[in-house]
Amino acid sequence: MGMIDYIQFVLAPQVINGLALGTAVVLVALGLTIIFGLLDVINMSHGEFYAVGAFAALSLGVAGVNFWVLIALVPILMIPLGILVERLLIQRVFDGKDRHVSTLLLTLGLSLIIEDLLKAVFGPNTHSIQAPVTGALELFGVIVPNYRLLLIVIGAAIVCMIAFVIYRTRLGAVVRAAAFDRNMTASLGVPVAWVYAGTFALGVSLAGVAGVLLAPLYSVFPTMGRDFILLAFSVVIVGGMGSIWGAVIAGIFLTQVQALASLVISPVWTDPIVFGTMVAFLMFRPQGLFGRLGHA
Amino acid sequence: MHDRQSRVMRTNHVLMMLFVGGALVSSALGIASGDTFYLRLGTEALIFGGLALSVDLLLGYTGVLSLGQALYFGVGAYASALVLLHVPSFSLAMIAAGVASLVSSILGGLIANRVRGVYFTLITMGLAQVVAKIVYNSRELGASDGIIGIPIIKIGLGAASVSTADPAGFFLVVLGIIVALYVFLAYLLETPFGRVLIALKANEKRVPFLGYSVWRARMVAYVLAGVIAGLSGALYPMLRGFVSPELMFFMTSGNGVISTLLGGTGTLVGALYGSVLLVVIKSAVGSWTEHHLVVIGLLFMCSVLFLPRGLLGIVHPWLQQALSRKPPPEDVRRHVPISDARS
Repeated sequence: MGMIDYIQFVLAPQVINGLALGTAVVLVALGLTIIFGLLDVINMSHGEFYAVGAFAALSLGVAGVNFWVLIALVPILMIPLGILVERLLIQRVFDGKDRHVSTLLLTLGLSLIIEDLLKAVFGPNTHSIQAPVTGALELFGVIVPNYRLLLIVIGAAIVCMIAFVIYRTRLGAVVRAAAFDRNMTASLGVPVAWVYAGTFALGVSLAGVAGVLLAPLYSVFPTMGRDFILLAFSVVIVGGMGSIWGAVIAGIFLTQVQALASLVISPVWTDPIVFGTMVAFLMFRPQGLFGRLGHA
Repeated sequence: MHDRQSRVMRTNHVLMMLFVGGALVSSALGIASGDTFYLRLGTEALIFGGLALSVDLLLGYTGVLSLGQALYFGVGAYASALVLLHVPSFSLAMIAAGVASLVSSILGGLIANRVRGVYFTLITMGLAQVVAKIVYNSRELGASDGIIGIPIIKIGLGAASVSTADPAGFFLVVLGIIVALYVFLAYLLETPFGRVLIALKANEKRVPFLGYSVWRARMVAYVLAGVIAGLSGALYPMLRGFVSPELMFFMTSGNGVISTLLGGTGTLVGALYGSVLLVVIKSAVGSWTEHHLVVIGLLFMCSVLFLPRGLLGIVHPWLQQALSRKPPPEDVRRHVPISDARS
């Protein structure tokens, strides 16, 4: 097999596959990083919100709701869930002595509950969802499955929208201000408690939309969040906790490492490689690629 | 020196004696009724209590949360299992587990102690997850099935010997080891080095100004916690006759953390009470539903929300007062107001 053939039929499709997964990873990591950047909270149940999104798509899809509607509907449905979790659980320990540990443990407990509830309702087996578009497209001689291309486009659009809102609108300025100095922002008349709840809900619905988008590509099962969350955390750490662009760049980078590594070695070893990349990165830049939301 | 910490530890020692007394009484009851199941369950609770002890050393004293202690528990269990398959020697298995967990926790510590706070928590979780995955995919280590068929061995105790198949005898051996680990940790925390560890939790930034190396103290605490988890893990294959990658999975680490939280962080003995309670709750819930994770999760959340100091947190102030009602020696009376004013 020649070099050109290798690139055309092996390397390029793998890069596209990695990019499709990477887009979803970026969406999940974006939610995590925004929640950390603003609330200073590690949301351990983030992976389970991703799973809830996928299961919501599954059950609403069975009920006959169109997939295109789901992409918009599921994130909206998850907003109340996010607000409830933030107001009822996180706020209770938010001003405690050790916020990091207590919120981490609280959301960890929540993740166990959600995972088991999903198992109780849907059973432990895997399910799958039909992709709304099938077939493939030929781009410069490279075969690109239509749904993956669509996922990348939609994901990129969502990321751009989030970045626009955060950096270019008044609402985003309020969020960044609250991340920088909570008390000062509150004294200017901003309802900071609702900014917090809203941002948490935004993060949760981002995880939900990632769940919907990935559901047709990967199987849907109750522990899917647990397998996914380590990758998302690695992305957030490499990108810099609380950095939006860091999450985007690190998300693409780490999933490309994963995709390309699986060409040369058995796929079961890709997790150690991704994690090793993160550890190597931490050795040189413990603070991650970029600074925190509201601080840079 | 008698400061607040010593008084807290003295309360813990009383609670530890109660714990050991309770364990001895239940083992006597177990022997009298010819029971096997509950003695085995109790032994398991003690073994996981050792894991929880290591979590508490990190969380309760040095103030860092590790979500990957199961890694060293698993390393100890696998090392012990591999030795026992070839040589039926208790001491060799324990030494192998100790060395394996020492080496792996030094390696893990070099990585995890590069960072602090939440990063530390996430890195320890990741380390355990990755190693568990490697073990899960290694055919040499039995892959997903783990290692089965670990033979029953005789544990020599001077003149007498105890078989691991003897439920009451092995229970007492495990109890002895866990008590020894507790005593060792309690002693260590009373030494100046122990106070440096506690100082790390109070204010890590000030420790270097006192002339101590933060990195070294954190590293020693981490390695120590790893070895304690490893030694506890070494007992597991002797009890159950097998090891599986599940021992390294996230849920095992989570169990250690929740036992500590439930019992009360920063008390050492709380970790043991919590572990027993967790095993009891699990087997009680497990008998009527397979969805025990919901209960564990609720327990987790309730203890964070309503019992931040754990169950012993309820008993502790009361018991501490009862203990200090005895006429204290001269130097205690001189020191108490100062340390109380600070706390």
